[in-house]
Amino acid sequence: MIAALAIARREFGSLFRLPVGWIVLALFAFLTGVVFVVSGLQPGVPATLRGVFSVSTVLVILIAPAVSMRLLSEEARTGTLEVVMSSPMSDLQLALGKYLAGMAFVLCMLAVMLVHAVVLRSVSSPRPDWGPIAAGVLSLLLLGSLCVSVGLLASSLTDSQTLAFLGTVLALVCWVLATNVLPGYVPAWLGASLSAASVSGRIDDFSRGVIDSEHVVFFVSVSGLFVCLTAVSLRVRRWL
Amino acid sequence: MIRVTDLHRWYGRTHAVRGVSFGLERGEVVGLLGPNGAGKSSTIRMIAGVLEPHGGRVILGDSDNSEHPRTARAVLGYLPESAAVYSEMSAEGYLLHRASVLGVPRRDRRSRVGSAMERCRVGSVAGTRCGALSKGFRQRVALAGAIVHDPAVLVLDEPTNGLDPNQLRDARSLIVELAQDRTVLICSHVLSEIERVCQRAVIIGGGRVLADASLASLRRSRGCIAECQGVSGLEIEGLSVASDRTEDGWTRLQVTGEADDLREVVGAALARRGAVVRELRDAAESLEDVFVRVLEESAGGREVGGGVS
Repeated sequence: MIAALAIARREFGSLFRLPVGWIVLALFAFLTGVVFVVSGLQPGVPATLRGVFSVSTVLVILIAPAVSMRLLSEEARTGTLEVVMSSPMSDLQLALGKYLAGMAFVLCMLAVMLVHAVVLRSVSSPRPDWGPIAAGVLSLLLLGSLCVSVGLLASSLTDSQTLAFLGTVLALVCWVLATNVLPGYVPAWLGASLSAASVSGRIDDFSRGVIDSEHVVFFVSVSGLFVCLTAVSLRVRRWL
Repeated sequence: MIRVTDLHRWYGRTHAVRGVSFGLERGEVVGLLGPNGAGKSSTIRMIAGVLEPHGGRVILGDSDNSEHPRTARAVLGYLPESAAVYSEMSAEGYLLHRASVLGVPRRDRRSRVGSAMERCRVGSVAGTRCGALSKGFRQRVALAGAIVHDPAVLVLDEPTNGLDPNQLRDARSLIVELAQDRTVLICSHVLSEIERVCQRAVIIGGGRVLADASLASLRRSRGCIAECQGVSGLEIEGLSVASDRTEDGWTRLQVTGEADDLREVVGAALARRGAVVRELRDAAESLEDVFVRVLEESAGGREVGGGVS
């Protein structure tokens, strides 16, 4: 676990040693800030962050692949992966370390929401309902986790960051289509199975302030699955 | 410390490594030689655990690298051909990171990193971003990263690749210094480097071990050469003497015979004749000669017998 944390610490640090980390954070803060001011800070409207969460969901789906695309592909491109793979650590530890770094970045990104919440609390009357806000932040965190883990797997499959990014976005789009659109065109039993893997339905529940443990387990399990698949992909890389 | 047994590796249908076996005892410094595509880098990568062998075993210390990879790799320091380091990190930051990944206890990390930097002489660039370092310094930082946990086994893949002559000399002396208390396997194209650093060479060709012996025993004696004046028609019992003239008028004698080193016998014979000697040297094969000869012999062997191992 120490090795995984060391990997995570370095990777997280490197995101901030390069301009890309700061640019992504600034972009996210700016866009969500604009939406917050336009939709949340108007007289007479309910004190919620619902508008911010809607935009943030799209942003997370776009930004998480941008963060995860370099996690392993950059190491493979520069040759540092060879050094890492000769270290006394398992492939799962390596994948876990990279995932934790991606998640730490998503957490930093979502920390901007704290500012929005504090501002909302100070200007609104009655006070905002904290339940939906907490559920919304949790939904973004879980969605970020899923996107980072999918991106991590894509990053382990190629030396190109661009391909990793496009692969992740494509996989996420296919997932959304397969679980939201396809069920209407396939036999009912298959449609039900596909719908069960829907992400957007679960996110909608969170946005209504419902924290369903089944949804939490779903996101955590799928993220764990993709981290494990990344470890398998690293193992296969040793065999090829 | 390193035992490689019947190692195999395929890339698609290409059988790149075909039953490679050799071993390194504690404290040995061995060169792994071979032409491009011979299977050297694949062998090195399998030893380092970066690639999984498709057949055979790699034992590092007392542990099998496939069955107990973490224990096996704990004794290993590996410098890949690219000598890659994280360009956005400082040299010291990179080494601290490597120390933590390699399992150096937190309380010892600073001292180990300091010691590695001192040995590899990178203290002057400790705070410099790796991406801003010269190739020579980057190579040194990468090497420091390979020894920061004080491994018993060091595997270096082309450690002087792309260095200028000054950097090459520095790198060579550094490797010699590091080799004093470690088992070292060096894979290199630069035969003079192997000649100066290693005691033994393993020559690989076509994925097979073609030769594995000490440098001294690999070299065939070609007698000795003397440049002298005041001697003509020299005959030494049991030896064959050929003579010709150098451009500046001295006599050059090439003496050949059964013994490995003929200098003493020839020197004594010349002294008895009162010759003035300006040079007397052993004409043993260079490692380059050995390398070419072994490859040629193996090519011949394959034509005749279908493979040399």
